[in-house]
Amino acid sequence: MTPNTYPVWSYLVYVAISVGLTVWVARTLHRNGRIFLVDAFHGNEPLADSVNHLLVVGFYLINVGYVTLALKFSQMPVDMQTAIELLSTKIGLVLLVLGAMHFMNMIVFSRLRRRALREIAPPPVPPQARIPVRA
Amino acid sequence: MRSLTVLYDARCGLCSNARRWLEGQPQIVPLELLPAGSEEARRRYPTLAETEPEELVVVSDEGDLYRGSPAWIVCLWALRDYREWSFRFARPALLPLARGIVEWISTRRHRLSRAFGLMSDQEIALAVSAGRSCDDGGCAGEETR
Repeated sequence: MTPNTYPVWSYLVYVAISVGLTVWVARTLHRNGRIFLVDAFHGNEPLADSVNHLLVVGFYLINVGYVTLALKFSQMPVDMQTAIELLSTKIGLVLLVLGAMHFMNMIVFSRLRRRALREIAPPPVPPQARIPVRA
Repeated sequence: MRSLTVLYDARCGLCSNARRWLEGQPQIVPLELLPAGSEEARRRYPTLAETEPEELVVVSDEGDLYRGSPAWIVCLWALRDYREWSFRFARPALLPLARGIVEWISTRRHRLSRAFGLMSDQEIALAVSAGRSCDDGGCAGEETR
């Protein structure tokens, strides 16, 4: 009788798909988050690129960390059907974590940008009158 | 807008303490504090009807005038550490609350100053010119040592 090879194949497929997804989301963030950061840092591109890179590194660490921690299946697949079911559950979880992280990053981007805009914003209340001023 | 002039009540202890606090904060837009109704204030703003306004008045270098709670919000807006708060208080949900608090304090400022024993700039000036040291320690300089 041949040994059950489904678990090993499932693990390999799980890691490949999860890491692939992580790379895709991280690259999307890196590419499209840059413009926000450049704006937030008043056009200081080297600083924006640096912060962007650091954010993406954190994103990779947390997601790859989660993927590796959650690798172990609670029950072993014995045929194609159970393998697909288990893989689907695992990848679904990875997708949810990626989604949550992605939104966290977007919140960080928009916060930084809003703060930057407020530094050059006019007063939040309109003046009640205009009077002549003698120097 | 390059600068703001804040006209405060120099006869009120609370207001004079607020002035000291404002002057000590890091500013994005420079604040200049003048006692309301003072010679300089009247010279600079000849059309400002009342010589002694009953509420805080802020005037920008361009002549934009703010009174009461908007004046306070503009003061916060000028400070680096409180600009976020100025936007928070200016929201429609919080503006009535800000107005209520400012009006409540403004109308009771002399009573509150007495209750907390806050010395006004005018009282301190009087005490110093009379050669006495102030008993709250706020202006008891070298002469007591």
